[in-house]
Amino acid sequence: MVNAIEAIGLAKNYGDVLAVNHINFEVKKGEIFGFLGPNGAGKTTTIRMLTSLTKPSDGTAKIFGHDIQRETLVAKRYMGIVPEISNIYDDLSAWDNLIFTGELYQVNKPERERRAKELLDMFGLYDRRNEKAKGFSKGMKRRLTISMGLINNPQLLFLDEPTSGLDVQSALIIKDVVRDLNQKSVTIFLTTHNIEEANVTCDRVAIIHKGKIAAIDTPEKLKKTIQSVQSVEVAFDKTSPKILKELEKILHVNEVRKEGDKFRLYTHDPASVLEGLWEYAQENNLKPISLSTLGPSLEDVFVRLTELDVKTEKGEF
Amino acid sequence: MNKSKFSLMQLRADLKASWAIAKKDVRIYYIKPGTLMFGILFPLFMFLSFAVGKNAPAATLIPGLISITILFSSSSIGPMVIPTERRVKTFERLQSAPISFYSIILGKTLGGFLFSLFIGVIPLLIGIVWFETQITSPIALIAGLTLASYCFATLGIMFASFPTENPGDIMMLLNFVRLPLIFISGLYIPIESLPEWGQVVAAFSPLTYANDLVRYALEVKTLYGPVLDSIVLLFFTGVFLLLSMRIQRKFREGVSMRKRRVKQG
Repeated sequence: MVNAIEAIGLAKNYGDVLAVNHINFEVKKGEIFGFLGPNGAGKTTTIRMLTSLTKPSDGTAKIFGHDIQRETLVAKRYMGIVPEISNIYDDLSAWDNLIFTGELYQVNKPERERRAKELLDMFGLYDRRNEKAKGFSKGMKRRLTISMGLINNPQLLFLDEPTSGLDVQSALIIKDVVRDLNQKSVTIFLTTHNIEEANVTCDRVAIIHKGKIAAIDTPEKLKKTIQSVQSVEVAFDKTSPKILKELEKILHVNEVRKEGDKFRLYTHDPASVLEGLWEYAQENNLKPISLSTLGPSLEDVFVRLTELDVKTEKGEF
Repeated sequence: MNKSKFSLMQLRADLKASWAIAKKDVRIYYIKPGTLMFGILFPLFMFLSFAVGKNAPAATLIPGLISITILFSSSSIGPMVIPTERRVKTFERLQSAPISFYSIILGKTLGGFLFSLFIGVIPLLIGIVWFETQITSPIALIAGLTLASYCFATLGIMFASFPTENPGDIMMLLNFVRLPLIFISGLYIPIESLPEWGQVVAAFSPLTYANDLVRYALEVKTLYGPVLDSIVLLFFTGVFLLLSMRIQRKFREGVSMRKRRVKQG
């Protein structure tokens, strides 16, 4: 079966900077594929090359078997594109934004009107369809941008940071729509900073770092690659700044992070840490109000793969 | 699918998209009181500031007023719209659609052309109503208005093709060209009265031919003849369109590339 996306040695130079370094990957038809990476890792450049907005310096990509450089217009017909910045026309109404996009994508008049109504309904914007988009909130603009990306019933949807900085209602609507689209066999290429979002949404993820693919697999398989990174999460009835330092001294604890009112102790031996934790609580008259052991998260994988550079950057400052 | 059939379908899709882009631009950018007033008042005052005090009858100034109005109205909008659309990333929306780059350029020029055609008719009406201007050749007038409007719209688009998100950058560059043009194209000083070198320079200005064609349509006076005027205007339109494509392709990634370099740096 033909892949929805096939990146073949895709590379992009900006002067002396190699933003994307000859990457290869495939996205299967009907998959939700997460593309993760820190800022400047090459996510947006990759998406721009896949959507033909940026010409690769080397290599190419195929969209449903069509070379993006040689069969650009055919390849584009398969796509819906939702960029990171909501690029809607503020001086047009929500309805007119959708109708105009439909015209660009050669959707015939009855179909684009039916589709516009359906999408505005789906994204909770139908009642405000005649208002100019300039009066919309950030979340509403985002929802409108996504609905514009869907006007042509794409088989492949590029979503660049779809829920970044959104209100809860908008984020929930978008997540629901993504799930719904996937059930209709739409392939989704998703870039996000929200690792947990990728973990619960994506069939497979790729982690790009410094322009190279550092890892690519299902979230669960990626987590298994760092089984040594397990953790114990604990919350005490009272807290003080010194607890963090003291918890680091417990045997087999590699690192401690404070996450809200909880402490997360990273270890390769959770059983020993639980014992040490129990002793520490008794000695300091602390009562654990919640305690759980956790396997590695996708975020742990992400941090592990990019950790070296975080330290280097810290060192530079 | 048959390749020629696909090309024909694509051509149809491109033309439809161009029309959609032009309609959208007219709605968003052109039919605004500020734009309309600027389109009429700026060339009018500019023209009056140079023409008042001359001994020529007012009616003879109308062709020049029409030419200058068309020049400023049609060439201004592209340089305002395209950098603004680059800044708010709506230009990328057009680029990411399954339409050819030609159709985007055609749509953008079409919008400027329609706006300019409408604005250009206003000084003509002023001439007819108040200064007894007469249309001696309706065909030449239609040719003059349409060819000049489209030619100067493509001139504006050509300048707007340079990769900037700031309309001011383009307007500055454009005015370096437009302002000298109005002095060497026979609007204020007849080309015959220019020194020899001035007449040579005038021959390279599209405004010369636009003005000559409109003057022929209203006064039957012409230096080059309506046919040559029309051919040269078409030639300039082709050159501006070709250069627009070239510049756009060359600098297609210019703005995002510069930003990315700064970010990476």
